[in-house]
Amino acid sequence: MADTWEPRIVAFVCNWCTYAGADLAGTSRRTYAPNVRIVRLPCSGRIDPRFILRALEMGADGVLVSGCHPGDCHYTKGNYYARRRYIVFNSLLDFLGIEPDRVRFAWVSAAEGGKWAELVDLTVQAVRALGPLKLFSQEASLPPELEPIEPQKPQSTAPDPRQELALRQTAREMLASGEVELVVGYGRTSFGKVVPFFASSPEQAEELVWNDMCVHNLTTYLTGERPAATGKVAVVVKGCDARAAVGLIQEGQLDRERVKLIGMECHGVQSECGQVADKCTACEVTTPHLCDVLIASDGSVWKTNEAASTPTRFPASDALRSEVQRIASLPREQRLAFWRSELSRCVRCYACRAVCPLCYCQTCAADRTRPQYVTPGCDWRGAFSWGVTRALHVAGRCVGCGECVRACPQGIRLDILQAFLADVVARELGYVAGTNPEALPPLSTFRPDDRQDFIL
Amino acid sequence: MENAYKPHLVTIESIRDETPDVRTLRLAFRDPEVAESFTFRAGQFAEYSVFGEGECVFCIASPPTRHGYVECSFKLMGKVTSALRDMEVGDVIGFRGPYGNWFPIEEFFGHNMLFIGGGIGMAPVRSILLNCLDLRDQFREITILNGARSVADIVYKEEVAEWQKRPDITCVCTVDPGGEDPSWTGEIGFIPTVLEKMAPSAEDTYAVLCGPPIMIKLTLQVLEKLGFPPERVYTTLENKMKCGFGKCGRCNVGPVYVCKDGPVFTAAQLQQLPPDF
Amino acid sequence: MSEKLLLLNDLHSFADALIKSGFSVVAPSKGPGPSRFRRIGSASELLMPDVNTEIPPKEHLFPPTEPLLFFRFHGTDVELLDPPLPAEETVFLGLRPCDAAGIALLDAVFLADPKDSFYEARRSKTTLVSVACTKVGENCFCSAVGLSPHSRTGSDVLLIPVEGGFLTEAVTEKGRTLLEKHSGLFQPTDASTPKPPEVPRSAAPEGLDKDFAELFAAPYWQDAAKRCLGCGACASVCPTCHCFDIVDDSGARGGVRLRCWDACGLELFTRHASGHNPRPNQPARFRQRLLHKFAYSRKSLGRPLCVGCGRCVDTCPVGMDIYEVAVLMSQGV
Repeated sequence: MADTWEPRIVAFVCNWCTYAGADLAGTSRRTYAPNVRIVRLPCSGRIDPRFILRALEMGADGVLVSGCHPGDCHYTKGNYYARRRYIVFNSLLDFLGIEPDRVRFAWVSAAEGGKWAELVDLTVQAVRALGPLKLFSQEASLPPELEPIEPQKPQSTAPDPRQELALRQTAREMLASGEVELVVGYGRTSFGKVVPFFASSPEQAEELVWNDMCVHNLTTYLTGERPAATGKVAVVVKGCDARAAVGLIQEGQLDRERVKLIGMECHGVQSECGQVADKCTACEVTTPHLCDVLIASDGSVWKTNEAASTPTRFPASDALRSEVQRIASLPREQRLAFWRSELSRCVRCYACRAVCPLCYCQTCAADRTRPQYVTPGCDWRGAFSWGVTRALHVAGRCVGCGECVRACPQGIRLDILQAFLADVVARELGYVAGTNPEALPPLSTFRPDDRQDFIL
Repeated sequence: MENAYKPHLVTIESIRDETPDVRTLRLAFRDPEVAESFTFRAGQFAEYSVFGEGECVFCIASPPTRHGYVECSFKLMGKVTSALRDMEVGDVIGFRGPYGNWFPIEEFFGHNMLFIGGGIGMAPVRSILLNCLDLRDQFREITILNGARSVADIVYKEEVAEWQKRPDITCVCTVDPGGEDPSWTGEIGFIPTVLEKMAPSAEDTYAVLCGPPIMIKLTLQVLEKLGFPPERVYTTLENKMKCGFGKCGRCNVGPVYVCKDGPVFTAAQLQQLPPDF
Repeated sequence: MSEKLLLLNDLHSFADALIKSGFSVVAPSKGPGPSRFRRIGSASELLMPDVNTEIPPKEHLFPPTEPLLFFRFHGTDVELLDPPLPAEETVFLGLRPCDAAGIALLDAVFLADPKDSFYEARRSKTTLVSVACTKVGENCFCSAVGLSPHSRTGSDVLLIPVEGGFLTEAVTEKGRTLLEKHSGLFQPTDASTPKPPEVPRSAAPEGLDKDFAELFAAPYWQDAAKRCLGCGACASVCPTCHCFDIVDDSGARGGVRLRCWDACGLELFTRHASGHNPRPNQPARFRQRLLHKFAYSRKSLGRPLCVGCGRCVDTCPVGMDIYEVAVLMSQGV
């Protein structure tokens, strides 16, 4: 039987411009390739990257996304937000190893019937050249053999014990005076392991510990149904944790009247083998930039509630940066093989979501069944669906605390994915997460001159 | 290959809307061999599939004494029930079952029966009730208390009207206070209250009840007050289910699985279980 | 049950011989991510961990996602198709006794009537060759749940490391058959069986036959579960956790009904479509996990649904320790 494959393209278009443009192509009797199925939405700003991914997961060979030209949006600004979203999304697809020509973005106005027809023809031609999408149907190829890039990891050292004493005293005072009802800090299990600990009385404050095994990001307990989500609480935060607190403030999830931040000067926490954790090796937030009380290394206590007045650029650790660059510079097939090998280990345990302070949605996208927002399953397709969706939902918000990688029982390199996206957001959108509580989240704003060279 | 997860295909033979959000489907097995050989006991349930949407669990609402079809009644609630609501006569769905344990009808022979159903809880009661009515002379007195939030929410309205006409059944209907309409001639009151007023004799009587969790809880208390020993009070539990036969680990209440060790439990058995439902 | 033989060489020659005989050999091996069992192409890929792999071998009998049924739409009509059943003769080589006991527990669930054909197809073709432990992991507690580093439960063959090789014991007929097929590798020996290493965490959680009502209503759940984040990491690395979801994924022409791993720690696990959730908060869900593993299963399966491997303790991002809580339960504090 002859090979009769025809590309199947799904087009998400805005109602006011592109859909009208497509209509015009029809009434003008322009002929063009019939391979496109149009899905009409009110605005390109409504087009969730999840729709694009779901189309690919459900068998589309290519996706076309189109809306009004910047400045012409029927809702004034929708396409500006869309443009920012597409910058991030487009970069991510490329990083994952998916051919960029499969997903194309365009501005087509209501008068551009001709452009629509040309656009469809060009897209079909491009996708035909690429062949059917075998992303989910082909056998996995061997991932590239990559030598681990070891950062310089000194042995971790315990902090000065005066810090712990000062922390206990501070907590004791806050609880005794009624300033807070709960202090979320670190304690020890009966086997001596350091874990999150909740002190709700001055006596319990004596059990708080502070050392280089205090790795957890405790701000995750501040939202949802978690123990510190209501009532007057204080949370012990390291520099990285405080950045997450900043993110929560930006998104209206942290009431500064209710939550006090006890900042700890920190010079690194341990990973498993007694060495300093990867994330600490290039840390520049040894002193949290946002807190109500700061306990310095020597145990001195400072009252402060000032954030750094200028946002500081916090680079991902050099080793992590090198890994991102190494993956990005691999040939496309190898990039894809790497990410497939990583993401298909996922078992949808949602540990990454559970530990992340910024994953606080009451109903996660992955749990929605009407519609089936994220493809179910932990096969490659389902794992891709979840992994990429979460990466996009956290893009521009992730503060690089590293908890997701630590929590993942399958060791999936979520840190590489998020560091890549953080760099895209910093470079293209001029924004670094967790530095300025007054800043608007990057995807909730736009610049008139945001990059659009990839948009047809 | 024997695939325990593979349903039989059934066709929707007829649809009856009991209330604005409760619908009864009459289903016929497509495979004549299955239609011929299929048996079940009153109280058992099945997993009903809308292919592409998922499965959900309802009791089999028709009695095993009526052959050639099975019936289920369901309330519009979520993803699968919404999809079921969109289906028409002639459409094909899946049926996996029968699963679970059943009412020990043989134990009930020769006794008085008291059936209490609240809202959609009347569906599992209907199965055993009709089973008993189909074998009427095996039982002595049969009393039915059927309740709903409002007149519109009464399920099986036509059958209830028939039961009320029969001289060999005592059938009492009630709606919650405020749920009556001008033409309502039945009782007005919550089921536990009306039951207490009726004060049926506990002597030689088995009680079967089902309804929303709060109604079950309060009615059990009334039955205890009326002197019903907990071994003679039967109810059916529901819980979120997936496999339906004790493997997916989801529907347990303490050490028992509602799908495998239930759904039919006596009040005495419930007393042994932690309040985890 | 059988005479002991001495395996001359190390595990590698056995692995190669099995591969040569045509078995699919699944063993701890090198690869990306955490240490786990993989199908190996040659003995050179074998990588026995000091104590245990981070990921148990259950994924080879009960995969994280598996199709149960395919369906195709023809108008309003539906055609159902069974997925193909796996069919290879397999040896799991290098299991620890806890993992073998874990598989025995999965057998009790999946092979009970109505049997799960998918699990059964794999399981019936799988022989379990375990290697006893010489070291004890930081979080191990097999002795507390009626097992030991030298347990034979669930294994077909048990290899006990000794000077110069392994004491080899056929535990079942299936095991004996496998050894006889490769008898050239084994020689008789009168070496004595070493004692298993001490497992420090072995306070048997006695008293868990306590009344469920008492355990259920105990006051410590609120505190014990406080830091639990409600993810499913513990369930995913547990050799005996088997809870699963069934979900359809389809397009206009047809689709698949999938079985996917699930976990009782997740909020939506028991939530009804009506919104009612019998376990509406994390302490209730955590209590379910503990009671299911240590109390309810004693009644339904006759033993705890836990083999003491400690992986959940290793994996939990906030250090929940199931052994610590089990001891708390038994003390009734």
